[in-house]
Amino acid sequence: MNPTLLVDIVVGGLITGGIYALVALGLNLQYGLMRVLNVAHGEFLMMGAYLTYSLHTAWGVNPLLTLLVTGPASFGAGLVLHRLLYARVLAAGEAPEALESRSLLLSFGLLFVLQNAALLIWSADLKGYSYLSIPFRFLGSVFPANRLVAAGVALAVSVAFYVFLKRSFTGKAIRALMQDPEGAQLAGINLSRVHGLCFGIGIAMSAVTGSLISMLFELTPFIGLPYTVTALVVVILGGLGNVVGSLLGGLILGLVETASVYLATSDIRLIASYGVLSLILILKPSGLFGR
Amino acid sequence: MALVAAPEILSPYYRSLALAILADVALAVSWAFFSGPSRYLSLATGAFFGAGAYLTAIVGARVPWPLPVLGGALIGCAMALLVGALALRLRGPYFAVFTFGLAELAKHSLIWYETGVTGTVGRLILAPPEPWTLYYTILCLAGLAVLTALLLRRSRWGHALAGIGADEERAETLGIDTTRVKIGTFALSAAFMGAVGAAMAPRWTYLDPQVFNPFVSFQTVIMALLGGAMTVAGPIVGAVFLGLASEILLLKFRYFYMLGLGLTLIVVVLALPSGLVGLARHARLTPR
Repeated sequence: MNPTLLVDIVVGGLITGGIYALVALGLNLQYGLMRVLNVAHGEFLMMGAYLTYSLHTAWGVNPLLTLLVTGPASFGAGLVLHRLLYARVLAAGEAPEALESRSLLLSFGLLFVLQNAALLIWSADLKGYSYLSIPFRFLGSVFPANRLVAAGVALAVSVAFYVFLKRSFTGKAIRALMQDPEGAQLAGINLSRVHGLCFGIGIAMSAVTGSLISMLFELTPFIGLPYTVTALVVVILGGLGNVVGSLLGGLILGLVETASVYLATSDIRLIASYGVLSLILILKPSGLFGR
Repeated sequence: MALVAAPEILSPYYRSLALAILADVALAVSWAFFSGPSRYLSLATGAFFGAGAYLTAIVGARVPWPLPVLGGALIGCAMALLVGALALRLRGPYFAVFTFGLAELAKHSLIWYETGVTGTVGRLILAPPEPWTLYYTILCLAGLAVLTALLLRRSRWGHALAGIGADEERAETLGIDTTRVKIGTFALSAAFMGAVGAAMAPRWTYLDPQVFNPFVSFQTVIMALLGGAMTVAGPIVGAVFLGLASEILLLKFRYFYMLGLGLTLIVVVLALPSGLVGLARHARLTPR
């Protein structure tokens, strides 16, 4: 293998992986804390991407500045959805398994609603725009600048969230709830409020990733589900509720996929994702870094 | 009786509508007799249905008619035994995700195989059986599925399955061979799904791997839950209701229909945990 190919794979893999890590982190936050397996996660990514596309093409807003719109808007949507849907299911106080199945069905309903709303608004045609597609040379390889920017922003948001989780008071409350929901509530943490907050943050992460992705690829209303699956693979790879696991898992999956596309064919990508997902579920449901 | 005489009376349009609804009934009933009592949420319906349909497309006119349907049942059953052995120790959403992922894995592997190895993207169905043959085949399958559901409810297996749904560990402690009951019933329900797929395939003249459609899985779940998955009547009511709704709305207002389907699912989960049939029973039992 020549060194240029190696740089191609490693840098390309880290770029893809950084994006995967952010989507997966959002999903993991929802599942790790609330046991809500949100299969509509990728649909928020798709919505974020279309929002950025519309703002950019209609009013010429800089795509990076639209993050300031998609982030808060999706955070608000997350708070509302949590209050309207998930809080009511969680409050019913059933056995954990019945609860997980019901919230899973809810998010499938949400998936249908969001995807078809997008089809009605933006139609099924490919949409896209060009931003920062200037070549950037690095160690003899060439990368479009927009990918580097997108991956950089994604990683920065992920790391910022990690610091927030470790240092801030709210972050401590979230970790306490993940570790021991009953004990944390005894210590005076408001379960429902923290759940809503985390659901909002998780969805905002997905939508922000969507905004970044809209700079790189063309959009259809169907781009969401493959990202949900990828995020699921990463979350299960890194372990449910494990934030560092999601970050590392995202980077690992990015590297593996990029390598397989360079070395084999691109058709194999989805087969590999689903295959890895099935294998891990069978062999080690607690994840690679799980206890 | 009316359903048996139907092909003689009905115009081709209504016969085809009745056929589609009966197929939905068969799918929803056979989904519900496993997933309802056991609470294992399966999203593999599309995979079993697709495998049956693809089998018909491959063997096509080379074998006499009811054989592809039997083959579909066998292939569904075999797939379910394999999946069941691997996945039925996964609980809750893990099982749902696994079955969903498996259906997608099957679809993408088949696409990859067809384009890469055989060099085709789909198959033509030549010489399909007569429409009334198809109608009676599906009618038989729907009837058999309902009969199986009724018998299963009263049998020891049915009670064992409900015991697993209530508390699997307790059921095991009480001496139920949970693995055998789960895998056995799952395979039985998959056999029906495979058979329905095989019998429905001749309706399309051209089939490609997209027939492994996750939408089939979701629609089946929504039909069963809308009617009420814990009863036998529930999935029938749900399938007829949504079957008619999709017939009226799907072609003209496709996206609105799908959007409405999503909203229906959300409302059912939040407000109608026992479905329309449960609601009707509740209304009858509560004095005004």
